[in-house]
Amino acid sequence: MKLTFKWLNEYVNLDGLTPEQIADRLSMLGLEVDAVVHMARGLEGLVTARIRTVRPHPDADRLTLCDVEVGAELIQVVCGAPNAREGLLTAIARPGVTLPGGMKIKKAKVRGQESLGMLCSARELGLSDEHGGILEIQGDLESGLALANALGLDDVMIEIDLTPNRPDCASVLGIAREVAGFAGRPLHPPVTRSELPVLTADHPEFSVEISEADLCPRYAARKLTAVRIAPSPLWLQQRLQAVGMRPINNIVDITNYVMLELGQPLHAFDFAHLAGGRIEVRCPRPDETVFTTLDGQQRTLDADMLMICDERRPVAVAGIMGGLESEVTEQTTEVLLESACFNPVSIRRTARRLNIASEASYRFERGVDPGGVDIALERAVRLMVDLAGAKLVDGGVDLYPGRKPELTISLRCRRVQDLLGMAISEEEIARHLRSIQFAVSEATDGVYRVTVPSFRVDIEREVDLVEEIARLAGYDAIPVSLPRIDMDYPRREPLRTLRQEIARIFTARGYSEAINYSFSAERKFAQLLLPQDDHRRKVTRLLNPLADDQEIMRSMLLPGLLDNVRHNHNYQRQDVALFETGKVFFHREEGVQPEERLQLCAVLSGQRYPDAPSLYFANCQAEIHDLKGLAESIFQVLGLAGTQGEIEFARAEEMGQPYGQDGYAIRIMDGAAEIGRLGKVNQQVLRNFGIKQDVYFLEMDLQAMNELPRVNKVFRSLPRYPSVKRDIAMIVSDEVPAGELIRAVSGLDEKIIEHAELFDIYRGKPVEKGKKSVAIAVTYRSADKTLDDETVDIVHEKIVNTLMSRFGGRYRDGQE
Amino acid sequence: MEVELKRLEQEAESALAEISRVDDLEPFRVKFLGRKGLLSSAMRQLGQVSPEDRPRLGQLANEVKQRVEQSFEEKKAAFVDSAAINRSVEDLSLPGRILPFGKLHPVTQVMEEICAIFEGMGFAVAEGPDVELDHYNFAALNIPEHHPARDMHDTFYVSESILLRTHTSPMQARIMESQDPPLRYIAPGKVYRCDSDITHTPMFHQVEGFLVDRRVSFADLKGVLTTFTQRMFKDDLALRFRPSFFPFTEPSAEVDIACVICGGSGCRVCKRTGWLEILGAGLIDPEVLKMVGYDPDIYSGFAFGLGVERIAMLKYGIDDIRLFYENDLRFLSQF
Repeated sequence: MKLTFKWLNEYVNLDGLTPEQIADRLSMLGLEVDAVVHMARGLEGLVTARIRTVRPHPDADRLTLCDVEVGAELIQVVCGAPNAREGLLTAIARPGVTLPGGMKIKKAKVRGQESLGMLCSARELGLSDEHGGILEIQGDLESGLALANALGLDDVMIEIDLTPNRPDCASVLGIAREVAGFAGRPLHPPVTRSELPVLTADHPEFSVEISEADLCPRYAARKLTAVRIAPSPLWLQQRLQAVGMRPINNIVDITNYVMLELGQPLHAFDFAHLAGGRIEVRCPRPDETVFTTLDGQQRTLDADMLMICDERRPVAVAGIMGGLESEVTEQTTEVLLESACFNPVSIRRTARRLNIASEASYRFERGVDPGGVDIALERAVRLMVDLAGAKLVDGGVDLYPGRKPELTISLRCRRVQDLLGMAISEEEIARHLRSIQFAVSEATDGVYRVTVPSFRVDIEREVDLVEEIARLAGYDAIPVSLPRIDMDYPRREPLRTLRQEIARIFTARGYSEAINYSFSAERKFAQLLLPQDDHRRKVTRLLNPLADDQEIMRSMLLPGLLDNVRHNHNYQRQDVALFETGKVFFHREEGVQPEERLQLCAVLSGQRYPDAPSLYFANCQAEIHDLKGLAESIFQVLGLAGTQGEIEFARAEEMGQPYGQDGYAIRIMDGAAEIGRLGKVNQQVLRNFGIKQDVYFLEMDLQAMNELPRVNKVFRSLPRYPSVKRDIAMIVSDEVPAGELIRAVSGLDEKIIEHAELFDIYRGKPVEKGKKSVAIAVTYRSADKTLDDETVDIVHEKIVNTLMSRFGGRYRDGQE
Repeated sequence: MEVELKRLEQEAESALAEISRVDDLEPFRVKFLGRKGLLSSAMRQLGQVSPEDRPRLGQLANEVKQRVEQSFEEKKAAFVDSAAINRSVEDLSLPGRILPFGKLHPVTQVMEEICAIFEGMGFAVAEGPDVELDHYNFAALNIPEHHPARDMHDTFYVSESILLRTHTSPMQARIMESQDPPLRYIAPGKVYRCDSDITHTPMFHQVEGFLVDRRVSFADLKGVLTTFTQRMFKDDLALRFRPSFFPFTEPSAEVDIACVICGGSGCRVCKRTGWLEILGAGLIDPEVLKMVGYDPDIYSGFAFGLGVERIAMLKYGIDDIRLFYENDLRFLSQF
């Protein structure tokens, strides 16, 4: 909602108040002021000038010499504008003046001719983009006037961001009412109820019928003849322009002006185009399926859209937009002026379906005061008589089927005090409500009867009055206290805790957290080489996505992170370690919310330790065991066990992911259930994502992890006897997984084996081709004595024998 | 023998005192303390003294040897210390052997901080579905179909009755529906609006909070939010409550804090107003309470919602919201 300071001043005396003060008070009353624009700013020093004579420049074809009258002076100016002509009133910047764009005007000689200023275009004045010629000022004005005054710009525009509950303030008078309330000054409406003529249900020259009374609580109309369509007077055009509305002609401008002034949308029909001189408010008949609105667009009608019709056909979409055929044009001489009120829900539904957002629909959707319909009608016809030479046909129609009794609400003062937590007196409560025209009875037992003025369509309940009192008293006046509530220490959601714990592990290992959009695109699945029947392709789709790459809800985190890897590589950041914990979505069935699962994904590319000083950590290329180790340590650190035994990190032969590289895929298994996986992204997928460097990934289902049992921490006594450490070096076939050797050692049922560890794997001379040397360190310890060599020897030999027989290995002695 | 030991001790002490180079320590040790050194050979002579003198002289010899050894160790330690001071073998200008930590996303950091403050005040944390029913997102919050307030939410739809939540407020209805007061909850999470420019992304994060009990007032709302903003930003931070409108609260408020950039004197960030809008709040509308079966004459409560990105942008001076979702490490590593 835009208005100007001077406009506001017509209804409430603003003496002694600055626009900024008003803006501040309005904001604190819940009418948030977005902008205060001094419209004359930048036009200082500019004045009007009238061109008296235009002569050709002796030395330039395209320039003219103008003798220009500025008040009593006559000065010569060189001008290049095509529209410079005798008698034109325009704007001049004289030497010393700075234009809004920053250009400073000096006395100059142009091609040898003196020029004592510059005649300006609208663009040079910062008024619009118009630069085809110098400004042409309308109206019978003097030269030498301050330009801002001549253009009606010596005013201040105030823009208010209205909340949907305050349609009464979608009008200058509505704002004036609030100002009058806080300033304690009288309000001067342009028309008062006592001045209104009596309108009736019938009229000799036209008829009105409301067929859908639920959708049209009130409809009033009057007829005007001898209308002279012409441009509006300057003040009216300037006022509309100041609030961003384009002047059209006097009749249309008046309907717009009164709408802005009083908040009541009006519509003027060309009476000659209303068949049968009749208005019917009804829904379309089955054959009335299309309608052309005055913007020239053909609209498809639905059966429940409320239309204004003449005897034969629709002539306007009620409360939203008029029709092209009955529009007021230059040929119009007779006008039927409509002032009506429509059902907000019906208007909103229709406006949505037709995709029209007009000033009228904006107001009707939020609620227009049915009680103000006749006042706005009177205001508008008076202006039409004054400004368009119209003759008013006596009488008029006013149908009011939806008349409601005045709303009176009980207000408990105690309730006000309790809800606000504020010791506000009964007198203050009444005073605040009366300041904005609520009628308040005398209090009985602390209860007021409050009558709501009809323009406050948002006030229906006691709590609505509480809010009015709070905002009028000022939220600043409400004290600050803390709730008295029983003490509690709420349980923490385990999944949230798990997410936080995992994030801590990742950040400690140098991974930064990414957050990607929950949206994704179906083509990502193709990029990942997912087969058509992959369960992750069952996605939840958006009906109205903003962009093609945001058409579905993601069912995987990996694509987002791969895009992040590429983004970082593109900005010369080769070493990327990122993780994300976030929801993925799996479609269930139509009309049902998707399954949402919290997952974890991490990617690693480049150096193992991004950002670490290369002096110490050069050439530590990431590889798959980095992510394997990280995954293992998550289970260790969090003490997560499998539901049936240990969590297994199994090499995936068959069940690897299509985006994983063969031979580089590990499944994280809880028994038969896969709860995560890790691997190396395959080359084709990397190409599809535009990545030129190896990337390792880890995917885990946090919800599944959250269901894993946590290992109980049970204290074990510290060993009292020393350990014995023995090494074994075995030559085995290259195919033998070295990890199996360790498992074999750990699996032996020998109490004194405390720990077995791989400490070296060697290929090459002197080990023959196709074989490798695997070195294992075994730690032996007994809980109840110091081990002697013989005891250890027996077990150690057993280990060696087991390994040799199980893996076809050969014991490697010192010489080899 | 006794005299001989005393003399030996004196000789050793004076020889030790004269040593000025670390290289001379070892010859001294060999000469006096070594296996074939002077003190050892003196002790070997103990076998030749009379048995009645032997214990006394033996003890004396031991004491002498211990004293000389102690002096030697002190001298040696002095050399080691001064050596460390005088010639550093390490180039200490080299960088530390850092294995850098990764960073939590700034949105997570700010969200955790917000949650921590409210958890400290006894609020529980609850997270709900991102893909929400129209009922919880709108109708249960007193926003019926065709209410103009729906214009305040540019909604992504999945079907006619299912949408991406436009705020985390649906958790109010979900929790109140299943529990009785007193209630104190915050609901952090992702929310979605179809809007995208320098100040809007189609997905962002909100923290919704609410408290319901007997006799909860607007003053209590002011108290809790004042405590929160002051802990979040700084202790003497000014804030103001302005009337506003949300269909699910009444009275409703928008809360501004004194601009954290200019301190209230007016700058570009606060559009020269000196104030920054950071959250919306209000007393829970009685309609919302009635819909979950609470009697609004017995129970009252307040609710608030704040945008996490907005707070992160203010806290760190970030000027483009889209940076949050590029996951550029040059950005992430700054926080």
